[in-house]
Amino acid sequence: MMILAKLALGFCGTVAVTGAYAFHEGVMRVDEDHYNGRHVHVWVPAAIVPMALHVVPSRHFEHALEHASPWLPTLRELTKELKKYPEADFVEVQDGRQHVHIHTHQGKLLIDVTEPDETVHVACPLVMMEEIARELEAKAPAV
Amino acid sequence: MNVPALRFTEKIALTLAASLLAAALTIAPVAAAQASPASGSGQTVSASSHDRWLHVRVTNPSDKEETVRVNVPLELAEKVLPTINKDRLHAGKVRFDDVDCHGVDLKALVDAVRTSKDGEFVTVQSKESDVRVAKQNGYLFVHVFEKNRPKHSQVEVKVPMKVVDALFSAGKDELDIVAALHALSAQGDTELVSVKDEQNTVRVWIDSKNVTE
Repeated sequence: MMILAKLALGFCGTVAVTGAYAFHEGVMRVDEDHYNGRHVHVWVPAAIVPMALHVVPSRHFEHALEHASPWLPTLRELTKELKKYPEADFVEVQDGRQHVHIHTHQGKLLIDVTEPDETVHVACPLVMMEEIARELEAKAPAV
Repeated sequence: MNVPALRFTEKIALTLAASLLAAALTIAPVAAAQASPASGSGQTVSASSHDRWLHVRVTNPSDKEETVRVNVPLELAEKVLPTINKDRLHAGKVRFDDVDCHGVDLKALVDAVRTSKDGEFVTVQSKESDVRVAKQNGYLFVHVFEKNRPKHSQVEVKVPMKVVDALFSAGKDELDIVAALHALSAQGDTELVSVKDEQNTVRVWIDSKNVTE
């Protein structure tokens, strides 16, 4: 009985610690809603994404990195600079019923696209984006 | 309560306390991160009071639902532009050749404007349009008024001479965009471009606010 109690407590503690670590950088969210009934919702703990990139073998990125590598320093510098503006509107385009809004809120880059037949909302923690850029730069072939 | 029961309770309490402590230590950065918007916004306020923002606003007076608003911190643009190396843009400089300016030596032209006294350099008045290029109080003004349209259109450009100098401070066939942005960030609140025609109104200006009105 005592062993079971200890195990349960240890398990709960581990879950609490792991959960806290996984979510300490926030959550990356991609929500896509089509009015034909198709909905895509992806919520990923931000701390996990750079970690996943670190463990995935480089050969899986080679092709993408060839095209992306010239832009990785730009992405890194952009995210580093955007962190200085945690609450700011950068782009807003309103055209009839179409609306695009790119802004930062609570340290996340938010991209909201609203069209008559679909809405897309993307929220990326800037810390995560910077780490991804650094991780990919490390994997990228020298330009 | 007997001794084994007390020891068991003690162990449970200890394990629980240890788990909570570990969780709290890990959560602390989360709390800090969550709190950072408040403190961050404080930083933003202080940062934005020093930072300069370039604003672009396009509106359609006849259709209130068509609007474009772009707000760019000049410091961000200064840092990010040099990382882009694509086509003619390299290290924050744009390369152009003689074909682009039809044989006109732009650098010599700018030097001539800089060293000349304040005054009007170009004044054209015709049935179709009025054009005026002038230098006054350290600013270069370009004013174009088109009359020959269903409705009038008006373009006004006001650029600080220091920005023009910085723009042409690189090589003979290069425009130093980063230097121009840096010079622009040292300027006070200024409206740089204003275009008004029958369809759209375009405004480009700099100030210290991170939102458009």
